[in-house]
Amino acid sequence: MTGLVTGRALGLRVCAHCRATVRAPGTAPCLCPRCGGRVHVRKPNSLATTAALLATAAFLYIPANLLPVMHMRTFFDVEDDTILSGVLTLIQEGEWPLALLVFVASIVVPLLKILALTWLLLSVYRGWGGNIRGRSKLFRLVEYIGRWSMLDVFAISLLVALVQISALATIQVGLGALAFGAVVVLTMLAAQSFDERLLWDTGDRG
Amino acid sequence: MASVIVCHACDLAHRRDAVLPAARVRCVRCGAELYRTNAVSIDNALALVVSAAVLFALSNSYPMVTLELNGSFRDTTLLGAAIGLYSQGYAPVAALVLLTSLLAPLLEIVALFYLLIPLRRRARAEAQNEVFRLLTRLRPWAMPEVFMLGALVALVKLAALANVIPGVSLFSYGALMVVLAALTYVAPAEQFWHWAEGRVQ
Repeated sequence: MTGLVTGRALGLRVCAHCRATVRAPGTAPCLCPRCGGRVHVRKPNSLATTAALLATAAFLYIPANLLPVMHMRTFFDVEDDTILSGVLTLIQEGEWPLALLVFVASIVVPLLKILALTWLLLSVYRGWGGNIRGRSKLFRLVEYIGRWSMLDVFAISLLVALVQISALATIQVGLGALAFGAVVVLTMLAAQSFDERLLWDTGDRG
Repeated sequence: MASVIVCHACDLAHRRDAVLPAARVRCVRCGAELYRTNAVSIDNALALVVSAAVLFALSNSYPMVTLELNGSFRDTTLLGAAIGLYSQGYAPVAALVLLTSLLAPLLEIVALFYLLIPLRRRARAEAQNEVFRLLTRLRPWAMPEVFMLGALVALVKLAALANVIPGVSLFSYGALMVVLAALTYVAPAEQFWHWAEGRVQ
């Protein structure tokens, strides 16, 4: 990286709260002169925190998909809905654009987040130097799309509120919804605790 | 020190020549946005915060959706969505829905009022720094746009069972989503400090 100088080499760091450039030699945390927040050279324990949150999310992804998120009782039948069976019902009703939306938001996005963050962590642990820009693009994508997994949780909350004790049907929340909500929160926290600069540090040191 | 700006995403140092009134500056190496300033006044931003507050009040005063079957009606409000989950014993999920759909947007509106009103009078809010940091921490958890799509999915599912009547709150909440997004675009964090440092000497 000839001609390019990093903040760390100049004794400068960026405040994570207000993004002010702060001059502070060494590695001890200091206070931001602009917003008063604590400023670190790199997010503390970034890799370990991200890995722990990610492992928990990956584990909970299984019950989130296997357990019913909702039990629905109508005049005609009782139905246990998992995330996937909810998608299939939408397809049967001919609502395929919505089915695709729920499938992507609830099944593809969490899985993609878990796989992508695992790969990014691995690349930092192993010190891979190739295609850093591509990997940082991937991280930003993961960070951006993560929130969309909440879609099904919101849909369930409205269904429950409307059909709770009505004459025509009863909807009970299932344990899958709890696991699913946890996956969304854990993957969001995992992305937040990952320090993107670690991807670039490998190249900057070599 | 003010003449160097370091990229928050890849740590590359850049020389900062001049702060233009309206500019979007990206890192030359990783493409992350270094800062963005707009030619907007504090009053412009406050006008958006006022509209957000009005839309938030409307969204919580009217039903979101009403269900009709053979002459019997049942409706729910925004808050009702979280209460339903809570009453079925799913307090953590209820808390998550409450935070992301209602509490985070509300705190965002209150925090912006608290920060911007004193700035208009060339003063500085007493807990400015603490509230600013709370605001940046909160922003990722406000998800009105995701809630709107979730509501759409729920309405389509219910339309198979009964008559679905969208309420005032559904429309005002949709508008709130747009205003909050506009606010994030028009008054990003960097803009706030641009105002704060320009006014308070």
